[in-house]
Amino acid sequence: MASTLGPRHGAASLMATSASTTLFRRLTWEGTVPLEIRVDSKELPANSNRGLECYFIQAARVSYLPLLVPDVKKFLVDVVLDEEGAKILKEEDWWFEAEDGSPLKWHWPIGLLYDSHTIAATIRPNHTTDPIPLKLVLHLALPPTDKLLLVPSAEACKQAFMGQLKEADFIRWGSTKRMTSLRKAEQDGIWEGIKEHNFDDYWRVASKVTPTTIPARSQSPPPGPGSLHTRPPSVDPGTTTTAPDKDGASSVRSVPVRIYLPDGPVLQELAPPLLDGERPHTVSRFLTSTLPLLFPETGKRHAYALVQGVVCPPETELSWLGACMAGADGWVNICIGISSG
Amino acid sequence: MASSSPDTHTRALPTAWTAQENLENIAEALNALETYNKKDASKVVVRFKAVGNAPIMRQNFYKITASNRFQAVIQFLRRELGWKAGDPLFTYINLAFSPAPDDTVSNLYKSFSTDGHLIVNYSTTAAWG
Repeated sequence: MASTLGPRHGAASLMATSASTTLFRRLTWEGTVPLEIRVDSKELPANSNRGLECYFIQAARVSYLPLLVPDVKKFLVDVVLDEEGAKILKEEDWWFEAEDGSPLKWHWPIGLLYDSHTIAATIRPNHTTDPIPLKLVLHLALPPTDKLLLVPSAEACKQAFMGQLKEADFIRWGSTKRMTSLRKAEQDGIWEGIKEHNFDDYWRVASKVTPTTIPARSQSPPPGPGSLHTRPPSVDPGTTTTAPDKDGASSVRSVPVRIYLPDGPVLQELAPPLLDGERPHTVSRFLTSTLPLLFPETGKRHAYALVQGVVCPPETELSWLGACMAGADGWVNICIGISSG
Repeated sequence: MASSSPDTHTRALPTAWTAQENLENIAEALNALETYNKKDASKVVVRFKAVGNAPIMRQNFYKITASNRFQAVIQFLRRELGWKAGDPLFTYINLAFSPAPDDTVSNLYKSFSTDGHLIVNYSTTAAWG
């Protein structure tokens, strides 16, 4: 399972990644959120078991709505529909609608849909802070193809996912070489890892394109033999240098990060891992420079940052987030909520 | 070990003035959100570059409103090329990746522009997958 190649041989392996990086990657991977999927009863065929058409699931944050379709279909066939009803199901016409009536962005990871719903609640009066399920309506027919930018098939979902991985690759390194140098089997494998929700299968490939991070500060000299660094084979191990690891989280041009405002726009700004080449860039400094009205340099802040459902301490380093708590598509999604006091 | 003091068993309700302060804080935050919600009306330069057999347009540089989604750029390109909705059209940024249709031109420009413009490649076949 885990590669037996040591760090010197360059193949980024789980063994060469620090234990805490792996821990946080696994925690992110195992995160789930509650969804309540209600089928539009107007679209249920006759003789359906009405009153049961609500499907509850604790869905993986790193997964996607189109990947839930097989499970929902099985539920409908087993519980709600009779034989005739089951025969006329056409998954290619299925689409999801949000509580506010808009078609859901099915190409967003489920965790992001949920966090976005959480922060939207923070600007509504008298909202509760208890976690409530994200309520979706599943339509079985008549997808609004003019509003739905893409049809939510599993194949389209895969293409969208790969596109986001490549965009993240480009943000980090200024090219998509790392992604395009993956063999086709590996590219397919990374998506299979998502579909089957298999951490090892996903990271077997993802570790080749995702920067890793080391526990020590980036300015310290590289650790000796038995290091937890990953090094490409071309780096001469005899060279002593204080330069950060070439493929490490602090060497990227920019961390792929997006900021989501409640019911609001998505912002994408360049986020270099180090400010002035030295100080690690933190969530606090990044938000102050991007959203100074909500995160003033001094004075009380009335907003907070949510990453993978966790409130982010302000001193969290962006490079660390990029290596440990990004979504499966490579992006760190920071959702901004308004504090209620 | 439970203390015998009665105070520890009650949650102090917010006093009137802290509740007011709360409302003010939230109002301030909502005002800030209003500012950030405003659509960026500025325009950025998009440069369309044909790939492979795709036809080259007479005009390649266009000023596009920054707050537009990339989907609008795709539709604009279709109209300029005179292509119908069903005709295959693949678009890429910097010959590298296809952005999500709801990515804004503003965000793409900030992250990927070169020499003051955003390069959008277009092709009739899937090139970079």
